[in-house]
Order: sequence, then structure tokens, then C-alpha cells
Amino acid sequence: MIKELLDASTVLNNKHVIQWKKNGKKVVGYTCSYVPDEVFHAAGILPFRIRGFGAADTTIGDTYFGPFVCSLPKCMLQLAGEGKFNFLDGVIITPGCDSMRRLDECWRKAGSDVDGVIPSFFFHYGVPHKYSDYTIKWLTEETHRLIAAVEEHFKVKITDENLHRSIKLYNQSRMLLDRFEAMRTLDAPPFNGEDALAVILAGTTMPREEYNSLLEKFLSEAENSPVIKNRVRLMLVGSANDDAGLVRVMEGEKAVVVADNLCFGSRFYTDQVEESGDPVSALSKRYLGHNDCPRMYGDYKRRLDILVQKVEKAKIDGVILQNIRFCDLHGSENGLFERDLEAMGIPCMRLEREYGPLVETGRMKMRVDAFIERIHQKKAIA
Amino acid sequence: MRKETREYNFDWMLWNSFTAAAQLKKGTEKEYRSMLKYIPYFRGVVESILDAGEPGQKFLDICSKYMENVITAKEKGKKTAITTFCFSPAIFYAMDIIPVCLEVISVMMTFTYKRGTAEFLDYCNEVGYTETSCSSQRGTIGAYLAGIGADIDMIVTDTPGVCDTNANAFAFASAYLDKPFFQLDMPPDLTGERSNEYHREDYRALIKFLEEQTGKKLDPEKLRANLRELAKQDEIIAELEDLARMVPNPLPVSYNLMVYASRFLFAGMPECTGVLESMLEVARENAAKNISGLSGGVEKLRAFFCYIDHYAQNLQLWKMLDINGICYQGNILSRSWAHNAPHVTEYNKEEVAYTIDTTDIDSLIDSLAMINSRMPMIKSIRGPYDAPNMWLEDTLGLAKLYNADLIVYNGTPGCRNTWGMVKLFARDTEKAGFPTYIMYADAFDARVQSWEATEERFMEFLKVRRLV
Repeated sequence: MIKELLDASTVLNNKHVIQWKKNGKKVVGYTCSYVPDEVFHAAGILPFRIRGFGAADTTIGDTYFGPFVCSLPKCMLQLAGEGKFNFLDGVIITPGCDSMRRLDECWRKAGSDVDGVIPSFFFHYGVPHKYSDYTIKWLTEETHRLIAAVEEHFKVKITDENLHRSIKLYNQSRMLLDRFEAMRTLDAPPFNGEDALAVILAGTTMPREEYNSLLEKFLSEAENSPVIKNRVRLMLVGSANDDAGLVRVMEGEKAVVVADNLCFGSRFYTDQVEESGDPVSALSKRYLGHNDCPRMYGDYKRRLDILVQKVEKAKIDGVILQNIRFCDLHGSENGLFERDLEAMGIPCMRLEREYGPLVETGRMKMRVDAFIERIHQKKAIA
Repeated sequence: MRKETREYNFDWMLWNSFTAAAQLKKGTEKEYRSMLKYIPYFRGVVESILDAGEPGQKFLDICSKYMENVITAKEKGKKTAITTFCFSPAIFYAMDIIPVCLEVISVMMTFTYKRGTAEFLDYCNEVGYTETSCSSQRGTIGAYLAGIGADIDMIVTDTPGVCDTNANAFAFASAYLDKPFFQLDMPPDLTGERSNEYHREDYRALIKFLEEQTGKKLDPEKLRANLRELAKQDEIIAELEDLARMVPNPLPVSYNLMVYASRFLFAGMPECTGVLESMLEVARENAAKNISGLSGGVEKLRAFFCYIDHYAQNLQLWKMLDINGICYQGNILSRSWAHNAPHVTEYNKEEVAYTIDTTDIDSLIDSLAMINSRMPMIKSIRGPYDAPNMWLEDTLGLAKLYNADLIVYNGTPGCRNTWGMVKLFARDTEKAGFPTYIMYADAFDARVQSWEATEERFMEFLKVRRLV
């Protein structure tokens, strides 16, 4: 089971997408976890989380973006320029951060330079940076604008009934992922962090019905799987990471990542959408209110509380606070987390890295090993 | 941070420096000249500004006053708010709050001190900021994080949706110092009923926040007086901008800096009006005599800075332009989007502009919301750069209106909001016929690229493009 999920998480145009397209259906990509999948599902469109995974260089990305910009959107543009996203029928860009929001212009410009780089549906979805009655109102209207645009472009109808059905399906998925999360944080978990990330990532690249079914099977199998013991328990926090290989490097033979707070990880599926009432308003409330990204300025204490709860629940020995270079949001907040978690006696390690091919595994491995050693020393003293 | 840097509060030191500088010309010329040798690292600023005559003197006076306000706020029983350059301080003055504008203070230190703000920049990294965070906020906030500045009561910004690294700097400081935080959030669109309503609702939430923090209700009469003063300032700025269209431009190169700095310090207050009136008087005289504002008197080129300036010590950017006969045709910071601004009327951009309506409390607050949403950077760096009313359209319009021969981009490596697309932007401006130079320096940190290297590359660009 894990192989199928791993394949879906490591191949962009995976077999599920190929089959979907063969059936004449559409795929719309989006760049940020603030976009409600349910809207596309309700339209019979496959929502696909765009990633930069697999980009071997950033020559195309660097042609459009300036130098002081995160490598994640550069890798995304690289793949788009190389035609790796040609299966997408549409793209949604959000102002997740400045680097990601500029993907809008860079991708459009690349599209005007080279035919076929940009899909015919290209939509900027404005997501506010705080949670209040008027920002929810804004996002609700924005979601209605998105729905209208999708309906017009793809000649589909997104009814409230369909939205309710989709919300229910995705909530089921979230419940399954809650079970998955509980299993992951057991004293002796049945799978490691690499597999865990692959399982979560797979959900962003395949039809939800199939995913739920695979996930259920995975969970059943996991109940009878051999468990992992006597490893240092880590939590991975910070910038976007959609590469299970990065987790593998960190885990090595000595550690296991039993929790995370990543937007490609657990942040993606926590919290349900209200199933009654106006579905668009319910989606807006959930997506704006329950995503724990530092782009929501001034909400640090809530995010720290989330980490502390996770540390306690998952019996975390140490927290790796990583950020992609030029990601000031996560990078700086990691500084605050380090200060506050260390003050609570929770060992932390800050790690700045580049997104993309794991070219610096040696450096990373050495630092993580040193961190693990520090944790062992702390335990020995205790 | 060096031990000696911690000896005195940095803002108190800065107040002393500017207060002393403001006194220099009040003696005899001989006394003035003999004093300059004792301030080798500050003399360039002092000379440049005081040589501008009465406007320069008034400008130094208000810089000193601003810092005095910061350091004496507590003894006068006033609250202090750390804020940003693109946030109109008019609301703070109306609510008796002393604004502490990080970027303006960073500029003051960068101009003045040999080491600029280096120690505070680095201190920020020591306590958690990424080294890629914007230097304009780090330069000053580092001092407050280190506890060597006036007491701060709250932190207010308006850059979410416009500049992450700016917004993040304020959010970080709020968490680090455990101070109340408020953000005005900017939607991607500037105009339209949805955006207008969002701006208004958000601004009302701000006022509620400020009322909670101060324990005082907003006084409509005080706000009305401030907005009337602001309207007066807009009138003067509109005339100065109009005069800048003349050939030769009668405005000295440093006027642009003094216009925007005065607004960032004292918008809606008589202090700002005084500097502007004084500048207008000189500019009118020069215009009447058909005299260029450049010290050499001959205008060779006109440069439009599409973003911010370079604040290397001693105003070296302005000196370089002046010496080379390059007329400074403004930047994103100096433009006002008042209904009477020349570019608003020239291009019929009334729907983008703001008007000041002092009829009642609602119209006062709505006016402020509109003003704030049209502050530099907030107005044009929010949505896609090539969308209507955004950065490209503004830049091309202004460059044409002010007869620019070239466009210059300068920011900091922290400006991901513009570095994310400046290459595309430059392609478009070049296509429109404007040689466009992208400076790879840091406006606030000469350690990234020395001023000498920055100047050499700038001049090289002019030569390569046969502009000189």
C-alpha cells in the first residue's frame, strides 16, 4: 500500500492523474493550502497541489524571478517551463507569501514567451492575512468569484448540494488523517516520518475518493505492521517541504519524525469544515481560520501553543525548525519558536536550506546527527 | 553588539545628533565651518541639508523634534507606537500617540553614523530574524529589541498583502517584546466596492484597537484639524510636483527626500507644512528665474527612481546625481495620490486618488482609510505589478510625465515583493523606451555592496547605455 502512495507522492503526472485525464476530466493546480479543494471536487475537477518536486535546476525560474527569492516558486516555474505541468487545465495562485504571489506574473510572462507553458485558466485567489468577520466576508466573496470563474471557464455548475457532498468527503478524509496522526504519534509508531509525509502528499495528487480508500487500507495494514522503537522522536516545523527524501535524510537510522507542522504536512488536514449552513462561508471560515502559517501575522502565540501541544502529545525529544532560504516568515518565526521552546526545555535546531534536489545532504545529516547527540546527552543527564 | 553601543539609548543619541546639527547654522559662518571638522561622518548630511537654506534648516529642526517626541513620550504621558513609513501617521497624532517610524529612523542612522545601523541589523539576526529580512526595519528594531530605546506600547503596520518581510518584522517584534499588534491588511485590488469596503472596515478596526490601547476615544475635532492640515500639505506637494515637470527642474535634488521624509514624520502636523512651504517658496523663485535646482545649474539627465533611494552615509546618492547633472525626478515614496496630484489629473485617475472629506466622523475615517491605502508601496505593490493602477502603470505614467531619461530600481535584498518580478518589470519599461537600471545594493546596508561599488556600477550603466 505504501508503495502506491509513495508513487503518487513522487511522480507529478502519476497514474491517477493520467487515468483522470484519460476519462476526459480536468485538473486544476494550486500553490497554497489556503485554496479549498472542495470547490474543484464539487465541479468534477481534480484539485492538484502544485509542487517544485523533481526540478533539477532553476535556469527557467531564474530567468523570471530576481535573485533574492525562495527556490520553491522558482522550481515550480522551472517545471512549468519544462512542460511538466502540461496536464494542468488551470492554475490558482494565492498570495501565500511574496515569492509565491509573484509566481503569478512570472508564470504569465513565461507563458507569453513560450507557447503552452501556461494553462488557459489562470486565477489569482486573494486570501487575507487575518481572521475576522470582514476578512471571512472577503474570502467568502473571493470564493464565490472563484466558483463563478471555474463555472464559466469549464462550463460546469457548482451547486451547494455538490459542495456539501464534497465537504463531507474531505471531512471523512480529515478524520482518517486524524487516525493516521494518532498512529503516527504512538510511543512505537508503525511507520516513519518519510512514509508519513508520502501518505499526506499523495492526498494532494489524486482523486479524493481513491485517496480515502487507499488511506483506509494503509491504516488497516499499519495496525499490524512492525513498530519503530528506540529512536529519537523529532518534529519537523517550518517552510514548505514536499520531499519525503528530506525527512529520510533527517531520520537516518537514529531518529523518527513523529509529528510536523508543515503546510504540505499536518497543517493541510487539521480541522473539519462545518457541514451545515452555507458551504462557501463554511469553507472560508475553515481555510482562513485553521491554517497555521506565519503569513497570518500577529498570531504567533496560537501557533506556539499548537507546537507545544504537539510536543506533549507526540512526546517529542527535539524540534527541527527549518526554512527555505529567503523565507523570512518561517525563518524568523523559527527564531521565536527556538527561544520559547528551548526555554521550556525542548531542544530545537534551526536549519536553513534550499528547496529542490537534496544537494546538501552531507551538511544537513551532520547537523541533525549533532542535534541527536545533544538530545541523547540531555537524556543521559536527566 | 558592542558594550559601548548599549551605554546610551540609541534614540536619545540620535536626538542629540540631530538637535546639535540643527543648531549649527544658528551661529556665525565661521563657527559653523569650524564645527564641521568635529563631525566627520555626519558633516556630509549636515552640509547637504543646511546648504539647502531655510528648508534644510526646518527639516533638521523637525527631525530633531521627532526624536524628541519619541524620547519624551513617557514623561508627557503619551503612548508610543512602532510603525512603518507607508502608514500615515496622521491617525497617531490625532489620537495623541507618538509614532516611531522604523524606516525613517533607520535612514537617519544610516546617513549619520560611520557604522550605520550594522550593529542593530546584526542584533536582529542574533535574536531570531533571518539575515534575509529587510534591513530597513531591522536597522532600528534591533535597538528596541536590545532594550536601548524608548518604551514602546504597541506595534502597528499596514503591509500584509504588500510586503511580507516588512509585515513580518513588525509581527516578530510584537511577539518578541510581547506588545499588542495590529495589522491593516491590503487586498490585491486597490479600487472597486469590495476593496473600498475592506479598507474602511479594517481602518475602523484599527481605530478600535488604538482606542483600547490608549483608553481614549478618537476626538473628531482633532482628527478634522489634522486632515485639514494634510489637505494643505497635499496642495503644496501637488505644486512642487507640478514644478518638477519644468525644464530645467527648479527643485534641488534633496527636495524629494525632504518631501517624503517630512510626510512620514509629521503628516497632518504643522511641522511638515512648514518644511513644505519653505521648499515651495524656493522652488517658485527658481522657477520664476528659470533656474535648475542642480548645484551646477545644468540639467543633463532626468532619472526616475521607481522604488526607493539608496541611503548611503552622507546622502551620497544625491551628491552623485547632483555632481553629474542628473535631475532627480522622484520615486515611489514621494508621490502623493491626492485628488489634485499632477499625475492624477493628467491621467484622469480620480478613481484611484483619495479626497479628504471632513464633514463628519464617518467621512473623516473613510478619508483616512483611503489615504492609508494609497500610501507609497501600499498603493502600487499589492497586486500583480502589471495590473491596472499598479506598479508598471504608475511608473511608466510618472516617468513620462516627468520626462525621465531613465528608470532606476533600488531596494534591499529583503524586497521579495519587487525582486519577485523586477526583471519582468524592467523588460516592460525597457520596451516602453526607458533604459532601466536595477541596482543590486542594499539601500540601508553598505556592507552588502559598498557605496563606491554602487556608484561605479550606476555610472557604468549610464556610459554603456550612452546616457552620458
